[in-house]
Amino acid sequence: MRGERRGTPETPQNHRRMTDFFFLPAWPIAMPQLFWLGVLLLAATALGELLDRWLRLPRILGYVIAGALLGPEVSGLLTESAVQGLTPLLDVAMGIVLFELGSRVDLRWLRRNPWLLVTSVLESAFAFGAVYAILAVVGTKPLVAAAAAAIAVATSPAVVLAVSKEMRAQGQVTERLQLFTALNSVYSFVAFAMLFAWLHLEARGGIALVAMHPLYLVLGSIALAAAAAAALLAALERLGPRGDVQTIAALGVVVVAVAVAMALNLSVVMALLGMGILTRALDRNRRFLAVSFGYVGQLFIMALFALTGAALKLDLAATALAAGLGIAAARALGKAVPVIALAKPSGLSYRKASLVSVGLLPMSGVAVVMAREAASIWPSFGPQLGAVVLAAVLILELLGPLAVQFALRRSGDAADAE
Amino acid sequence: MEPTIESRREPAHAGGEAAASDALEFTQSAPLSIGVELELQLVETRRCDLTRAASDLIALVERRPHPGEVKPEITESMIEVATGVHHRYDTLAAELLAMRDALGAAAEKLNVLVCGGGAHPFQHWPERQIYDRPRFRHLSDLYGYLAKQFTVFGQHIHIGCPHGDDALYLVHSLARYVPHFVAFAASSPYSQGADTQFESARLNAVSAFPLSGRAPFVLRWSEFNEYFAKMRRLGVVESMKDFYWDIRPKPEYGTVEIRVCDTPLTAERAAALAAYAQTLARYLLIERPVQLAEDLLLTYSYNRFQSCRFAFDGDFIDPVSQKHASLRDEIAATMERLEPHARELETEEPLAALAQMARENASDARWMRSRYQLTGSLHDLVWQQCRRWRGEV
Repeated sequence: MRGERRGTPETPQNHRRMTDFFFLPAWPIAMPQLFWLGVLLLAATALGELLDRWLRLPRILGYVIAGALLGPEVSGLLTESAVQGLTPLLDVAMGIVLFELGSRVDLRWLRRNPWLLVTSVLESAFAFGAVYAILAVVGTKPLVAAAAAAIAVATSPAVVLAVSKEMRAQGQVTERLQLFTALNSVYSFVAFAMLFAWLHLEARGGIALVAMHPLYLVLGSIALAAAAAAALLAALERLGPRGDVQTIAALGVVVVAVAVAMALNLSVVMALLGMGILTRALDRNRRFLAVSFGYVGQLFIMALFALTGAALKLDLAATALAAGLGIAAARALGKAVPVIALAKPSGLSYRKASLVSVGLLPMSGVAVVMAREAASIWPSFGPQLGAVVLAAVLILELLGPLAVQFALRRSGDAADAE
Repeated sequence: MEPTIESRREPAHAGGEAAASDALEFTQSAPLSIGVELELQLVETRRCDLTRAASDLIALVERRPHPGEVKPEITESMIEVATGVHHRYDTLAAELLAMRDALGAAAEKLNVLVCGGGAHPFQHWPERQIYDRPRFRHLSDLYGYLAKQFTVFGQHIHIGCPHGDDALYLVHSLARYVPHFVAFAASSPYSQGADTQFESARLNAVSAFPLSGRAPFVLRWSEFNEYFAKMRRLGVVESMKDFYWDIRPKPEYGTVEIRVCDTPLTAERAAALAAYAQTLARYLLIERPVQLAEDLLLTYSYNRFQSCRFAFDGDFIDPVSQKHASLRDEIAATMERLEPHARELETEEPLAALAQMARENASDARWMRSRYQLTGSLHDLVWQQCRRWRGEV
């Protein structure tokens, strides 16, 4: 194309156009959204480094802030539709994070140390109970309160994974934090799916619907997870132990699994976490040992948090800040009690168990999606409760990374621990 | 990481203050008593990379009574276990196995794996964290990359001596047998993700330190004290811990300490090495087979290098007869000389196992290479090392 143009500048027509500066863009220049996406990455990098070097704060906080600043809520440089258009990127990023967190979970550990399973079930149950109770006290309808409580069970996989990777954290607090986070995300999803049964019961739906809807969600997602894990392991078996090749193969299977989950109306959270967990559990020959997402993973984490920041609904959340704080506090207490109480039998000191409970604070960005879903299904979930959940998410989105960073640093798990 | 030997806390009864006074007093200990220290690797279960786990693991082990002693080291990815003082091989082996099991049970609760081996095959040294305590900080500042590259894991064998002169005789007469210990324990063929072509690459890391090598050729404890006083006056050292010699007297314990062994892949082999040391010591102290002379040490570095590089296939120059032989033949000949002493000490069984190992070239390093050949994965190799430590393969 270019060569062609260069070859024909002498025709009279072209000559005339030249004088009109036809080759210049219209003013003001309409930058494609791609430009602002690049700017978003640069701004996120810069802010992330700034926070890390000057304030020793987690970089992901910088990504969220950069996203919020460039997003439709503040400057509007990235428009609502542009953010919407980037949803596939967000989905893939979320898929990678969930898969990677899942692959860090060792189910065999639960068998060797059953107290961890007990702790995990109890911290989720207590968090559910605490949030449910506080909402019931202020007169929320039971089904709606239960939906909010189910959302509150999950710790953010993205925050926990991103901060522990950023800090190159290793050790008991990191390991347990990742384990509990993956498990409570699974419980949260299962609880949420069960609520559909409750909903259908209230709406006098048939037994088939009551039973089938949650079963399809849960079992379907697990089946997809197992199929994807088996496919990945089969591919790795043939590809051999080279890390870079393995990483790309894993990336491919993750993207396919995300797409299939969405196409089949299954849960991306459950399918991808499950895929990670099962890849690890079924990997008898340890093919998967070498896979690490490295820079690619880092890029997706950055995109994930920047886009989450861009999608934050600040004004809506601001209206319910106090209520959000209440939920966040109840949830924190519910999680802390069992984790600390069972410290000794599970083989940890009280001090480190307390740090684990601090690390469990960040609420899941997945919660935003769930809340939106809940609002569309239960009109009574309504904007108000949606706002409360959003406020809790906002608080814990900003405080969450700080909490995880604090926990990892104080425990000595972080590479830069004192 | 052996600079840690400096930071090692001395047992209360061992008169650690001796080092601070002018003359080193050699504590009396039961002749031919043995004890073992093992530095072990702590790895995570996912990629089998070194992980930070020592303090949690120690806290968990200490909750209930257990044999031996479990101690922290310079990095959180290393743990040291030390046996008590033993007179017999079988009780030492039993204690080592019991310690292995106690450690294994605790590690299982924390999802941490324990393994032997002289070096982690693929840990990346720039990533090793030197603990931010003044002592470790000082070592890191002084030695630069050496301190970090020194994430290596060794076995130390202590042999009790009744007095300092005997200890010095043992230090110098054992020098000839250093290649034996190197080859028997060699288990660090891989370093920083690559095959080093060495059977024990760990010793190369040790050799880089200025006060490594061998002890000065003095035969009387009083002369040794003069040497030590000079070195202290010169400001070269502060205490005995600053010497990283291959074999050194340990006056506060009343022992001679052999420090050239990689940590073997199994506790059984670690115990067998102690039995070999005990039997050799009995042979040397009772038969006094050589008149010590400095010329006997001319072949020291050559023989040591050969065994690090080639293990049993290495060339060995007999410093007395000045003949070349393979280390394998030298070991076979030594085993014959040790027979009556092995009978006396009831160490025939472990010595037979070691002799067979030399004959069949069945070193830990070779085992590691063959495992790596199967999968081409160093991660998997570490996993197999952990299984071997537990006695599963």
